[in-house]
Amino acid sequence: MRSIRKAATAVSAVLIAAGLLAACSASPGQPDAGGKTAITVVSLKPGSEQSAFDAFENQVKQFEAANPDIDVTSQEYEWTGPTFTAQLAGGTLPTVFTVPFTDGKSLIERGQLADLSQYVRAFGYADKFNPTVLRSGQSADGGIFGVPTAAYGVGLHYNRTLFTQAGLDPDKPPTTWDEVRSYAKQIAERTGQAGYAQMTQENTGGWMLTSLTYALGGRMQVANGDKVEATIDNPGAREALTRLREMRWQDNSMGSNFLYDWGSINQEFAAGRIGMIMAGSDIYESLVQQNNIKPADYGLAVLPLAPGGSAGLLGGGTLAAVNVKASPKQQAAAAKWIDFYYMSKFLKQDAAVLDAKTLSESKQPVGLPKLPIFDKATLDQYNQWIKPYVNVPLAQMRSFNEGIFDQELAGEPTAHTQEMYAVLDTVVQAVLTDPGANIDELLSTADSDVQAILDRG
Amino acid sequence: MRTWVRRGGLSTLVFLLPLLVIFGVFSWLPIVRAAVMSVQQTNLVTAPKFVGLENFQSVLADPLFWTAVRNTGVFALIALVFGYPIPLVVAVLMGEVRRFRGLLSAIAYLPVVVPPVVAVLMWKFFYDARPDGVFNTILGWVGLGPYRWLQSATTAMPSLVLEATWAAAGGTVIIYLAALIGVPAELYDAADVDGASIWQKIWHVTLPQLRGVLLVTLILQIIGTSQVFLEPFLFTGGGPANSTLTVLLLIYNYAFGSSLGGDYGAATALSLMLAVFLAALSAVYFWLTRSWSTS
Amino acid sequence: MSTPTSIRPVVPAGPQPVAVEPAPRQPARWSVRRARRRADDQPPRGIVSDAERRTPSVRVALQLIHATLLALLLVIGLGPILWLVKASISTTQDTLRSPMALFPSGVDWANLATAWTRVHIDLHFANSMIIASGSWLVQLIVATTGGYALSILRPRYGPVLYWLVLSTLFVPAVVLLVPLYLTVLDPPLLGVSLINTFWAVWLPAGANAFNVLLTKRFFDNLPREIFDAARIDGAGPYRIFWSVLLPMSRPILGVVSVFAFIAAWKDFLWPLLVLPNPDVQPLSVRLPTLARSTELDVLLAALMISALIPMVLFLVFQRTFLRSAGLSGALKG
Repeated sequence: MRSIRKAATAVSAVLIAAGLLAACSASPGQPDAGGKTAITVVSLKPGSEQSAFDAFENQVKQFEAANPDIDVTSQEYEWTGPTFTAQLAGGTLPTVFTVPFTDGKSLIERGQLADLSQYVRAFGYADKFNPTVLRSGQSADGGIFGVPTAAYGVGLHYNRTLFTQAGLDPDKPPTTWDEVRSYAKQIAERTGQAGYAQMTQENTGGWMLTSLTYALGGRMQVANGDKVEATIDNPGAREALTRLREMRWQDNSMGSNFLYDWGSINQEFAAGRIGMIMAGSDIYESLVQQNNIKPADYGLAVLPLAPGGSAGLLGGGTLAAVNVKASPKQQAAAAKWIDFYYMSKFLKQDAAVLDAKTLSESKQPVGLPKLPIFDKATLDQYNQWIKPYVNVPLAQMRSFNEGIFDQELAGEPTAHTQEMYAVLDTVVQAVLTDPGANIDELLSTADSDVQAILDRG
Repeated sequence: MRTWVRRGGLSTLVFLLPLLVIFGVFSWLPIVRAAVMSVQQTNLVTAPKFVGLENFQSVLADPLFWTAVRNTGVFALIALVFGYPIPLVVAVLMGEVRRFRGLLSAIAYLPVVVPPVVAVLMWKFFYDARPDGVFNTILGWVGLGPYRWLQSATTAMPSLVLEATWAAAGGTVIIYLAALIGVPAELYDAADVDGASIWQKIWHVTLPQLRGVLLVTLILQIIGTSQVFLEPFLFTGGGPANSTLTVLLLIYNYAFGSSLGGDYGAATALSLMLAVFLAALSAVYFWLTRSWSTS
Repeated sequence: MSTPTSIRPVVPAGPQPVAVEPAPRQPARWSVRRARRRADDQPPRGIVSDAERRTPSVRVALQLIHATLLALLLVIGLGPILWLVKASISTTQDTLRSPMALFPSGVDWANLATAWTRVHIDLHFANSMIIASGSWLVQLIVATTGGYALSILRPRYGPVLYWLVLSTLFVPAVVLLVPLYLTVLDPPLLGVSLINTFWAVWLPAGANAFNVLLTKRFFDNLPREIFDAARIDGAGPYRIFWSVLLPMSRPILGVVSVFAFIAAWKDFLWPLLVLPNPDVQPLSVRLPTLARSTELDVLLAALMISALIPMVLFLVFQRTFLRSAGLSGALKG
């Protein structure tokens, strides 16, 4: 008995110490630690390579050297709906964090983001942004609350090795959806791997179904005065689902897993078990950092768009934002960080070179295809600056880099986007897992479900 | 006051302090708060607003509510079919083993100590729907399959139950074993004198003696299965096509599923509805264990 | 049901049907030891009588059944775990292409080291241990002091308080999920959010009515004379608690400890909510995140390590585990 009591006393002493320590280290950004302004910033996605984290920490050091009065702590971060909500409600979001374009407006309306207008103006590029891109981070009266840091368009990512094994030319990715289907079938038959796969979980199913629908000429929402109407039951969506059904059930070319979210489909794709996927054009970085993809495997093409004026390429992007609960000093420091880490490389040669150099020294990808957040000329200039450091297989992304600027970019639906995507997840899952799924019925049910969400306001 | 202290009132209070503080802050207060929140509209961002029974109405009107209730019921039912009789049979057989009983019960209990998250992630791989998947390979040896396991709305739920049963059955076996040891030997002796066969002894002695435990595990199992969360959350995220969306997963989705602040009112309203159901079951359980352990 | 945070389908390891009671009027330790010996060395007779066992047909049938039972238990109970051990030292390609073959392209020991260091299983394992130990301690403190006050000191308001504690048994953990989360965000009087601290898991774990019920019942059955004698000898309530009560409570403390530890080790949803910072997350919360980004062979190695630790603990403390899980009947002596 005595030994139990002794153990209990010892354990309790250790635990109290541990509890206090955790309390100290985990409370985000105590305002002024030792005369310095402390901020917490998001770093990379969980599970990234150590070298990627090293490169990030080097950039933090560079920033701290240039701003000796600011103390930066980093925290790994991956935006997913549930964790973001919990962090938002819990007040545990770092000082600087990122959100997708689709959430910018609502977060601003709810007063969740700090006003960055004065800082961005002071940096001198507030009016250089591509206006449509900037709009997702602006309040109704034009204040800047979220800084667009990256824009993507959905592309067709493919595995060149599987293409070769299947007897396809890896330099000639499919250019129509009929070709996507026949290529997928050929890959599945000749290699035994999934020819084509699609995300279906955690709202990504809705996101990608919307992309496919856009590409086939449909739209999911129409603004009608100040009312938004759900138009999910449209010919484009019907064709999208029909194509998926044919690939899944007639050709059996989509493999055997139909419960993919963003992380798990990337993992399978990087491991060489999927021929083609649709995803944002910016995933290569994560495929390298998190999933160890073999660069030689990777190919990126523009998404085939159906002929006719109505087809569009779904695009979106990331906003950097600052926690509204941060002190004014912290907000100023946070804005500096956003400028340093995300923005200035696009506008200043020395910043671009330093960024590229730091990343390439840690063998992190440099030179990924980007969509302009300012204008095309600025982006071309940036690409020129970093040219000596480019270490990604640009030739394998040529189809995308050349074709993207001819495509009609269309923004994501704006009203209750994530909720609508959640409803659409179910539709895609039903088509891919139930041979008897009734597409018309699924679409009309989803349409009225989403309309109900929209009407609730 | 002084007499109260002298009679030990103060030291009693000192001893009760941990209980009062912990229960007060982390049990009683949240319970009251749940009741309040269920009649409020609140997302932690805007100020809460009294909305009466609106949260309950909106939950009842949500088509997903009925899906979730049905799925949870199906889970509980299949879990009962798999998980209820098998441990009983195993325990009765094990009770007759004279050697290695310790070893047998250790093996039976081993899955219970595997952390549930590990078990689910491991089984998720077993359920790989390719012909090369673990289960499909094994079943292929005897010419069965390949099955789609988690990738089909019809087989996803049974697959979840199968794993849950694997993970929990050992505990039930041990409970039954303990109860079997408690059956008085004299009853069997008497039955032997009466010339009862083995089956008759099982039917007329063992089972009636286990009646109490059987009822208790039944209720415990229903209480447990109505709160199933981990399996659907990690295996399927509620899919395919909401076929494994359970009540608890729906509560989680209400509260934490949207990236723009949760609907905590709806979440607590649904929790309270589930609570009423579970409280009724718990009351039965409590009454049973009391009357049973005092008898 | 057993803790406000453990949500686990199918029979939870929590409540057990038989109340643990000490043998009255005997030093508890002795009766327990004797009971244990009796239970193990001479199992009480079962359904099949000795006479029946001597019948050839029954004997063959029994042996057949036992062999089948052993084989089935080995395959079903142990099989998946053995597979995990094998897969944790196989290459990803082997595990995917021929999951049931034994090391077609050799053993890959590196997985284990990679999982332990690069994926930081060591850190999350330590977090799990800290969380489990803290929850254990808090539960033990609340249950013993509360049980002591309610059972031995018996204040006038005791029954009401006991009823209030017991009534929380009827409130399922789910109901508390959201309000408890809000409480932890902004605990009364403290003014500091407990999110991302271990306290957020430790403290709510203490509000476990089942523990209080168990300890109070156990204390109720201790002979009152011992306490009266101690009081006459001049021992105050604190001394009685520390030097008289606790030493007699070993069996019940063991049971409560096992429950507390298992529940804390298994808990998933609650720590997922209150520990968003990866640096303080326990294994159970971290593994699903890793599953999305870690290569399969390393992930399986990480799973194996995470399963191995509680299994070793179980095999070492097998008796206490199994006793807690159901053999409490033997404690009745």
